[in-house]
Amino acid sequence: MRSVQTPKNLSKKRATKLALAMALLLVLVRPTRPVVPLGPQQEVVTINPKMGVHIRLTDEVEEWKVKQTLSMVRQMGAPWIVEYFPWAYYEGKKGHFNWSHPDVVVDHARAQGLTVIARLGFVPEWARPEDTITSYLDPEHYGDFGDFVHAFVTHFKGRVQHIILWNEPNLSLEWGYRSVDPEGYTELLKVAYTRAKEANPQVQVLAGALAPTLAPEGDPEGLNDLAYLQRMYDAGAKDYFDILAIHAYGWTFPPDDPPAADKVNFARAELLRQVMVANGDGDKTCLITEGGWNDHPRWTKAVRPYQRIEYSIRAYEKALEWDWCQAVCLWAFRYPRPAKGYADYFTFVTVDFLPKPIYLEVQSYARGERE
Amino acid sequence: MRKLVGSRRALLAILALAVIALAAWFVLARLGRMEDETWGRIQREGLMRVGMDASWPPFEYIDESTGQIAGLDVDLARAIGQRLGVEVEFVNVGFESLYDALYVGRFDAIVSALPYDPLLYGDVAYSISYFNAGQVLVVRADETEIGESANQRISETNDLSGKKLGVEWGSEGDVIGRRLEKKIEDLSLENYMTPQDVLSALKEGKVEAAIVDAVSAYQFAATEGSVQVVGNPLTDELYVIAVQLDSHLLLKAINEALVKIREDGMLKSLQEKWFRVMSN
Repeated sequence: MRSVQTPKNLSKKRATKLALAMALLLVLVRPTRPVVPLGPQQEVVTINPKMGVHIRLTDEVEEWKVKQTLSMVRQMGAPWIVEYFPWAYYEGKKGHFNWSHPDVVVDHARAQGLTVIARLGFVPEWARPEDTITSYLDPEHYGDFGDFVHAFVTHFKGRVQHIILWNEPNLSLEWGYRSVDPEGYTELLKVAYTRAKEANPQVQVLAGALAPTLAPEGDPEGLNDLAYLQRMYDAGAKDYFDILAIHAYGWTFPPDDPPAADKVNFARAELLRQVMVANGDGDKTCLITEGGWNDHPRWTKAVRPYQRIEYSIRAYEKALEWDWCQAVCLWAFRYPRPAKGYADYFTFVTVDFLPKPIYLEVQSYARGERE
Repeated sequence: MRKLVGSRRALLAILALAVIALAAWFVLARLGRMEDETWGRIQREGLMRVGMDASWPPFEYIDESTGQIAGLDVDLARAIGQRLGVEVEFVNVGFESLYDALYVGRFDAIVSALPYDPLLYGDVAYSISYFNAGQVLVVRADETEIGESANQRISETNDLSGKKLGVEWGSEGDVIGRRLEKKIEDLSLENYMTPQDVLSALKEGKVEAAIVDAVSAYQFAATEGSVQVVGNPLTDELYVIAVQLDSHLLLKAINEALVKIREDGMLKSLQEKWFRVMSN
């Protein structure tokens, strides 16, 4: 029996067809993510395999920029990179992980032949009390951080072999604006180290790089890094890290300026090393995961551009002389957006990928072209 | 039908109310914008507080003989104050803290050889520029007098073919020099450690031109002589005065004063005075 086409059901049919057509149109014209292929496997060509940089791709949205950054690192001749992987970005809800962005960064880095050192920290809201900052973690949530570390190491097994647990815990700012607590940090280290090794016994765990500072005991802002490290050993940290991460900023001093307990300079790394040796930990190595010089024209801790070039290259050379140092990763290769101040004068490449003279000079050094 | 008319009326009434509310908001917002608490206080107290980092001669520095802050910016701020009919008080703050100190109201304006920063456009309000400290091309002062044919003289970067160009290694001048080296035939680049080294090499004839920042160039020209800036700046680094975003009346007054100071020749006199003073 044929149905009768009334105006009402006719418009219904039209509406259905129209809706289907619209849906099809939406599917066809919806914006798609541009495909950025990893490309062929690359290799870093360098005369100094201990060269590295700290990158800042955590907040870089566009994949082609991730690839471009890492490609330029490779072309500069630095095989090592340090990157920050914020816990809160990937575990917004307990036990629910989203690794899409870090996968992009890590896979492109590996395709460029780079070794990734992953710094882990940045506490999600659900793991800390209200009105606390992202470096605040109390002992009852150490297990949550341990779970995240376990998940991270598991997910990146075979791709990321080095992790840094926390950052500069000897600063109040990096310890939730509380008094610094070497014993508390050591407890955190024990939990996270154990969980990392459960996930992958081969992963190399770095103890959180301490901020180079002369702050005395009781200073509200922090604690002298040498004193802090000793207290970590006293609290039993020795068995809970494989490598010590070091921050080595030169400020206005050249890299060969001799170390002294009352001075912050690049060679202060040697004093941290001495603390390790004094505690029977001399078999372990170190990794300088931040450091370098700044050439802002007016910042009080800056040097001239030529000094920054010479000091940075000399710092890479010193890594070759220090058999206990696996690599020197200078701060910072490129920012995803301007820092609006002196911090922009730490970079090797501008936001829009223009290589600064320091990039070209370091590249020339890595190629063995310098006299 | 009556119900439909009733609902239309209600809709019209709502629309009319919305228009009235929008107009009221617009008028109030404009009135709000007219206020400038900082400007009001400056006028009441007859005092404008100026922030600067006194470590950048000849714009601002501590005069060792008097222990007071001196420099081009100090004179400029006083000249602005004079035109505004107020006294000026100086607050010395480290360069990296200038903006923060302005935000929290430690002073009313930054006059401190402060480069215009488009990235901070939404955070502060900037005046018109009073000095361009960008990179400049510098040649020997006798470059136009050495009797060679006019086409061998250097008056712009296109004249650098076959020449030696000095730059400060690693600086913005170096960036420009490397770019020119790729595009200009037979241009050779010579690196020096500081702008002063570059300009000394130019003076001594080791290079035929130099690219350095304008402050170094003018200072060297005043202290050592024998060199001159030619052509337009190759880059812009515009020194400006910054005030808080809501200090729009203060900004207007500062801009008007700057225009007058420029028009009556005072700005030029200050530049001549301070680049010469530093040479003594």
